[in-house]
Amino acid sequence: MRAFALYGAKRLGQFVLVVFVGINIAYLITHATPIDPVEQSIAAVTAYGNTSPEAITMMRAALRELYGMNGTPLEQYAGFWRRIASADFGPSLSAFPTPVTTLIARALPWTIGLMLTATLIAWALGNMLGGLAGYYREHRGLRAMGMVAMGLHPIPYYIVAFVLLVVFGYLWPVLPITGGSAMNLRQAVDLDHALSILQHSVLPAASLILVGVGGWFLGMRALVSNVVTEDYVAYAELGGVARGRILRSYVMRNALMPQVTGLAMSLGTIFNGAIITEQVFGYPGVGSLLVAAVYAGDYGLVLGVTTISIIGVSAAVLLIDLAYPLFDPRVQHD
Amino acid sequence: MTLHRSFAAARVAVAILAGLVLAAPALAQSAFSDLPRKETLILENPEGTIKNAGWFNIWAISGGSQSNGLQQVAMDTFWYIDPEKGLDGVWDNSLAADKPAYNADFTEMTVKLRKGIYWSDGVEFTAADVVHTVESQSKHPGMRWSAVFALNVASVTAPDPYTVVFKLKKPNSRFHAVFTVRWNAAWIMPKHVFEKVADPRQFDFNKPVSLGAYVLKSYDPDGKWYVWQLRDDWQRTSIGRFGKPGPKYLAYIDPGPPDKRVIAQLNHQLDVIHDVAPEGMFTLAKQSKSSHGWFKAFPYGHPDPTLPSLIFNLQNDTFKNRDVRWALALLIDIKAVSMASYRGAATISAIGVPPTGTHPDIYHGPLQDWLKAFELDTGKRKIKPYDATVGQQIAAMLKPTMGDQLPTDPKKLAASIGMGWWKTDPVAAQELLEKAGFKKVGAAWMTPDGKPFTVRVMVEGEARPVMTRAGAMIVQQWRQFGIDAKVDTAQGTLITRRAGGDFDTVISWSVETWGGHADLSFFLDSWHSQFVQPAGQPQPLRNWQRWSSPELDKIVEQVRTVGFDDPKGIELGKEYVKLAVREMPFIPLMSYNVFTVMDDTYWTGWPSADDPYTNPVPNWGNSRYMLVKLKPR
Repeated sequence: MRAFALYGAKRLGQFVLVVFVGINIAYLITHATPIDPVEQSIAAVTAYGNTSPEAITMMRAALRELYGMNGTPLEQYAGFWRRIASADFGPSLSAFPTPVTTLIARALPWTIGLMLTATLIAWALGNMLGGLAGYYREHRGLRAMGMVAMGLHPIPYYIVAFVLLVVFGYLWPVLPITGGSAMNLRQAVDLDHALSILQHSVLPAASLILVGVGGWFLGMRALVSNVVTEDYVAYAELGGVARGRILRSYVMRNALMPQVTGLAMSLGTIFNGAIITEQVFGYPGVGSLLVAAVYAGDYGLVLGVTTISIIGVSAAVLLIDLAYPLFDPRVQHD
Repeated sequence: MTLHRSFAAARVAVAILAGLVLAAPALAQSAFSDLPRKETLILENPEGTIKNAGWFNIWAISGGSQSNGLQQVAMDTFWYIDPEKGLDGVWDNSLAADKPAYNADFTEMTVKLRKGIYWSDGVEFTAADVVHTVESQSKHPGMRWSAVFALNVASVTAPDPYTVVFKLKKPNSRFHAVFTVRWNAAWIMPKHVFEKVADPRQFDFNKPVSLGAYVLKSYDPDGKWYVWQLRDDWQRTSIGRFGKPGPKYLAYIDPGPPDKRVIAQLNHQLDVIHDVAPEGMFTLAKQSKSSHGWFKAFPYGHPDPTLPSLIFNLQNDTFKNRDVRWALALLIDIKAVSMASYRGAATISAIGVPPTGTHPDIYHGPLQDWLKAFELDTGKRKIKPYDATVGQQIAAMLKPTMGDQLPTDPKKLAASIGMGWWKTDPVAAQELLEKAGFKKVGAAWMTPDGKPFTVRVMVEGEARPVMTRAGAMIVQQWRQFGIDAKVDTAQGTLITRRAGGDFDTVISWSVETWGGHADLSFFLDSWHSQFVQPAGQPQPLRNWQRWSSPELDKIVEQVRTVGFDDPKGIELGKEYVKLAVREMPFIPLMSYNVFTVMDDTYWTGWPSADDPYTNPVPNWGNSRYMLVKLKPR
């Protein structure tokens, strides 16, 4: 127990350090960008209107003050960390004065909902099929599935996404291709809205699952074909244990370990959002928010999204590290 | 779990999935829930997904949308100038009862307001709203029109509820332009709402109170769609004069990337596409009988009153000599540029005025003779560089592929593809460069200092593919001649770099006009040398080329003293055109053709080149005039 506590403390310290360094790097990069949010705002305001050059100068000064961009770099840095302590990333500069946390809070549930579901389904499906394919090597159906998985796996995601878009949006338009839910539908917690969300998530989720299944399938199949050569599996077969029981309790359970680690890492990265998915299917999420923020030079928003992402990935790694002994009793912390 | 049982489970799962998919057509709703499709007009909002979706305070600078219907149908101001011919003439008195009245030296402007106009919450629109609009933004710097009012307005008063008097800080014969819509203008704020607000910069104005004919019905908190509904008292708005708007509901949406816009319109779920790549336009023209652009035939697109050009940074030593600029212009083959960028669907222009709206009749046409006679001294001989037949040459190039889609009438052809341009003349270009002291060493050109002649052409990359293709083609043509030309992609940073002068040349536009009105001051006034910043300082719009010319200054100063409708203004405009041809501070290419595509399936009565009663491009405030003519099919 003491060994575990010591290990836990060390890992927690590591986690805090990684997050701290990560956020600092993100801060440096966003403030080093040549894109100036004030100039972007001015450009947006004056893109069409008839504005005199003197007016622009006045606008520039006013916006700099409003956005809190006055003050030395050190003062700005100190102010930034002061706000982080209270989970406040300040106002979004491109969506002034809406706070960054409000914008992220609006987009994050969509990202988490879609990515979590798609990742879990792809993982479960891929591992289940891969396990079966690795164990029942003679089965033709499973062999065929293996070939399909290997075929789909190297196809770039955006191609899969666009093919789905064209097939189900144009050739056979039965599924919605834009948005998180139907337009003009009241966003309430009711069956209508839930069904609409479900319907709108089919294509984006399908594209992610199709591309994700291949990797898990191939990985699991390879792991299983390794494990079946182990002594204890041969012993169980000779001992007359039912094939299904061997697959479930002897083979899969052991082969699953690396896949669980992989799953944890994947879950950590869902906070990055799926930018291509969001662009292709018009799905609201943090990916598009991040891209728009980068183009606008909105460092508050960029820092907000990347901070959540850094914390998400680091936390996932930390949790899997601490929880590993629960899955695999052979592993011990020392 | 045996193999047998897992496959049984899989079979059940597949059966359920298949059932769902087959039942999908029955379950599939239209894009909208609860909105009758026949009463709804669906338009694209080119701003995309709006970050600050619930923000309707258009007077504060924020990430809220302006073209989600807010400025098109909820806002209003004194006057509109149509980029085309207008419903009832180019000039429309909207909230104003009449044109602006200036005193003799343009230091005072009086506006008489229209009576019987009401906000959507029942409060009458009066001069008090105008006074509040000006004073509130003057008091709170950083709002959209704060600086404009602070610089121009000494005082604003309302001697009676329907009269506003502006006293100006300095003479300005075009102060009314602030309140004249060309895409947008200074919108009027509701005093009764904003006077209760402590800081108007932090107020979201949600739900907005409309002065226009539509009110907000619902919107997406994730910023993808906005639905507006026609007011029951639409006659109490300024557009009511023209009749009841056809659509009861307006939906401004983000349909996504260009491919999805095409799919959406092919499925008849998007009535107005704001813009799409030329290839998308051709696809729609071929596959959908109900889709059409501004021109029923090639080149389809609506020419916006904007002039994409190759802009020189005139503070860069290499381009200070106008012979060098002319040489570079004579190396450009505009036919190839048009094919590369717009696949030929471009309207070319040799002069510094967009070939759109009323300009071809006022500038391009009447100046043809002068252009044909214009002479250039290459140092060895005199040439006449203008070729009036380039438009027809482009049409001839397109005939094999576009054939019957091209207009045959020469007048229509000139209107759609353009008139003439400069003849490609590498020999003359060589002579001009040698006259400027450049030397060809081997296959490469050297500057008079003996350094390689290098030119970067800045483009916006994927964000603006048509213009990027034009830039790439120009680079190729210059390279073939022996100039070390390079494409300089500035995706996301073009705006900052263009303003900062961090470029050699850039494909962009410094010329933007009213379109329907001949006056050029909209852009020309800002080209006075008083506004040119020293190198390294950000240049305010629109003189991106940082052109300082005493001759131009004289023209601008004269325009400032001449009334808006005075025909002398057109003569001064022509002087500018001739000066720009001689000096070539930027190389005009073509108008900005927007491929706005309209679908006839649910609505008819669209504006077009044959019936140019307004601009259909849906993010323009002026597009509201389309709504009164649209009728359900």
